[in-house]
Amino acid sequence: MTAWRQMLSWLRATVRRSQMETEMDAELRFHVEECAEDLVRKGASREEALRRARLEFGGVERVKEEGREARGLNLVDNVVQDLRYAARLMRNSPAFTAVAISTLALGIGATTAIFSIVNAVIFKPLPYKDSSRLVIFRTHTGMFPTFTLNLTWPAFEALRKEAGLREIAACRQTDMTLTGGKQADEFSVAAISSGFFEQVGAQPALGRLLSDNDQAATGNHVAVLTYATWRRSFAGDPGVLGRQLILDRQSYTIVGVAAKDFEFPGAVELWIPISLTPEVQRNPTFFAFEVVGKLREGQKIQNLEPRLATIAARLGQQLAAEKPDITSDYKITVKNLLEIQVGYARTGFLVLLAAASLVLLIACANLTSLLLARGWNRHREMAMRTALGASPARLKRQCLVESCLLALFGGVAGIGLALAGVQLFRGIAPEDTPRLHEISADWSILWFALTCSVVSGVISGLAPARHAACVSPNELLKQATGLSGTSRFGKGLVVVEVALAFVLLIGATLLVQTLAHLLHQNPGFRTDHLLTFELPQPPELPGKDAEERATGQIARLKEILTQVKSVSGVTDAVGSDHGILNGMVFSHAGLKLEGSLPGKSVISEGVVSRYVSPEYFRLLGVPILRGREFTEADTLGKQPVFVVNEVMARKFWGTVDVLGKRLSASQDVNGKPVWGEIVGVVTNIRDLNIEYEAEPEYFLPLFQSGVASHHLVVRSSTNPEALVTPIVSSISSRYPDQAVIKVSTVTATIAKSVGDQRTHTVLLGIFASLGLLLALLGVYGVVSYSVARRSQEIGVRAALGASRSDLMRMVLREGLTLVASGTLIGAAVAVAVVRVIAGQLYGVQPSDPLTYLGSATLMLLVGLLACWVPARSAMLVDPMVALRYE
Amino acid sequence: MDKQLDLLQGTLDMLILKAVSLGPLHGYGVLLRIQQISRDRLEIQQGSLYPALYRLEHRGWIASEWGESENNRKAKYYRLTATGKKRLQAESEKWNRMAEVIAEILGTKREEV
Repeated sequence: MTAWRQMLSWLRATVRRSQMETEMDAELRFHVEECAEDLVRKGASREEALRRARLEFGGVERVKEEGREARGLNLVDNVVQDLRYAARLMRNSPAFTAVAISTLALGIGATTAIFSIVNAVIFKPLPYKDSSRLVIFRTHTGMFPTFTLNLTWPAFEALRKEAGLREIAACRQTDMTLTGGKQADEFSVAAISSGFFEQVGAQPALGRLLSDNDQAATGNHVAVLTYATWRRSFAGDPGVLGRQLILDRQSYTIVGVAAKDFEFPGAVELWIPISLTPEVQRNPTFFAFEVVGKLREGQKIQNLEPRLATIAARLGQQLAAEKPDITSDYKITVKNLLEIQVGYARTGFLVLLAAASLVLLIACANLTSLLLARGWNRHREMAMRTALGASPARLKRQCLVESCLLALFGGVAGIGLALAGVQLFRGIAPEDTPRLHEISADWSILWFALTCSVVSGVISGLAPARHAACVSPNELLKQATGLSGTSRFGKGLVVVEVALAFVLLIGATLLVQTLAHLLHQNPGFRTDHLLTFELPQPPELPGKDAEERATGQIARLKEILTQVKSVSGVTDAVGSDHGILNGMVFSHAGLKLEGSLPGKSVISEGVVSRYVSPEYFRLLGVPILRGREFTEADTLGKQPVFVVNEVMARKFWGTVDVLGKRLSASQDVNGKPVWGEIVGVVTNIRDLNIEYEAEPEYFLPLFQSGVASHHLVVRSSTNPEALVTPIVSSISSRYPDQAVIKVSTVTATIAKSVGDQRTHTVLLGIFASLGLLLALLGVYGVVSYSVARRSQEIGVRAALGASRSDLMRMVLREGLTLVASGTLIGAAVAVAVVRVIAGQLYGVQPSDPLTYLGSATLMLLVGLLACWVPARSAMLVDPMVALRYE
Repeated sequence: MDKQLDLLQGTLDMLILKAVSLGPLHGYGVLLRIQQISRDRLEIQQGSLYPALYRLEHRGWIASEWGESENNRKAKYYRLTATGKKRLQAESEKWNRMAEVIAEILGTKREEV
């Protein structure tokens, strides 16, 4: 309380300085005059009275000065003086100043940039109403232990009634084909339940959003566009309201455009009201609905769990008889929305933040050792000032003011670097980085950079300040080298710097190797000259039953394949139901096998399956180990056949010789398994994700059944990128309602799939280089300073017959000892901390000895480089000059 | 005016607080009142009065405002604040206890040891 009042009084006096001075003048004048008047009353002449009054009062200026001191005003004066002094010092040694400022600017810039990115991605609340209370529900089942599913409609209904949430809504995301334009297009559509927009506080930019009335009126086909879709596909035309869209052959009226940047759930392009058949509403295994709930105020996410367990248990029981696989370990899980959206990216970003902070720490250590070295040069001045009566507190304060001023300049330069860094990140970050468009330069950069400056200024200034205040005038007079403490501390700092830089170096080296492994990972097929794209299925193919529709679908696909093959530059084209390396597959649980290993006759976990056309493996260049691949003869109505990969054959049968063995992946209408024969075994390929080892996978003939989606793989003789336009126009000229999407070369797909690793590697690489550079500067500074300080001793040694190479060796030994101890400590620290990034590594162990050896060698080379210049100057010390130095 | 006592270190603050506790005073008035109460037995350096006033004001024990003096001149008046009042009480108690102890020590006779 008192401190607060004093602060206020100090502020008042400081801010209204001139008024305070005037008042003080007036008050003192009043005193003297009153006193004089009293004297006049006692009989003195007016002049005499004034003179005596002034005498009695004493020195007015001294009183005023003490008055200012009493109000704490001198502090300001002193600090201003210190600032001027520090500024003068900075001007007088531009090289020192430049090094100090740029060192800190690098550290502060790196930390600030990463902080503002991490802040935008991980810490800032999501841009939805009450976003911290939004939660997402998922289904977990023992059938797919590694991932979770959306909810079924019965589960959603149960949650709505029993979970006790404030609000809850569901949506189903699908892709729909837009026709009626020049070229068919594919839209990511969210069909939403009532309350969806209200829950997240969405606002329209144009027209209106969907309301409960839209939900109630069945057959009411209306749609709301996202702002981005409106801009991209409708050129931001305000007259878009009321226009009709043909989506999956159904007409929808556009009634509104959502506010800018509102996209929920992710990657949606337009919203329509959900409409469900009674069958879907009852279906207990249709896991298609994304469910978002809002907690009541003060409601904890953990408190939901018992209720969820009850609901899941009941739903599981109802299912148990029909689908025992699904109900094993059947749970409904709940997670915070922010956690769902960015949780997986957290570790990576925090590692980057930690790395950037290490750079800042190294920079601080560097500045400290620079200031210490200079402090030694100035210790005569300090001692002199002490002798003249400067208090230790004053000297300390001056040192701190100096380092803070340097740090502030560094911070200002750092803000510039941080802005550039944020731009750089937006440039190199993969598109699927969560919340990428929310990353921008904002005020947080300024505050964070300034805080960093002040903190690093104080940290860097503490040790030099303590040393400055310790100088005793006696030592000055003796010109003693009694400052070995300072230099020991400086050396310690360099060891710390080297150690920190080494940790960064190890981290970066490991990530670089990871990236190299991923990029050069052999996926088991030829990745060059391959173009892939998806052909979304038109919603309803003509045909009276499933078989007729499948026939139509297959015929159409065959025609499209022929069409594509006729494009010049295309060598060959094949089809499949899922793309290559796009992370999507169909996983089938409940496979039945014949003649398999004991306990493997029914496979309860999911096994990856893929429908492929004839010639698929030949086109990809995948060796066939046994038997054959599918041919044109494997068509609808023929005996079902399978091809399996090597790992599946070995895992379930214990051998690759499985030709003729039978397996069943489906049931006929009577619930009897449909058996098919294995006709071929192929080598393992990584067609799901380049990072994952090949899993058991079986293939089915694409032309033997109707499937939900079609993907094409095209091998070209020329640059595949150049074939995109001819292929797309050749397809849409023949089939105007056929959208062609997700066109990409396989090489680009691979590059994109390692986008995260690439970004992190680039950034960590930058930080490691900065750390290395700063450590180099630090070693150089300390060693050359030590040479300069010992030039007298070196001169004596030279005079006594030490050879030049002896002297050089002496200096190098000194410097390299520091580097070597730093490296050793760094290695010990690295072993302990790289475990944090173990999850991001691929193809290299966190404690890979070669990495450590290589990095240590690099560190020592850098150290050698840093010592070289001072060592040479030691070698060239002239004994006479050195001895006369005194 | 002869035989004045020098002020003991640290007691000026307490005297000022006491002086203004009897009613608002300007700086010169504080001086006069202390002299009046002490019947001119205390010597107060006029120069040290103002820094002491500013210090007390800075700490919030007294507050000031401009007003009219008896002969219609503008003067700065000081008055005791609530915290100042507590402070004065605490200081007085401390002083009295101290004085008692000192007096007792000084009054000790040989046979009492």
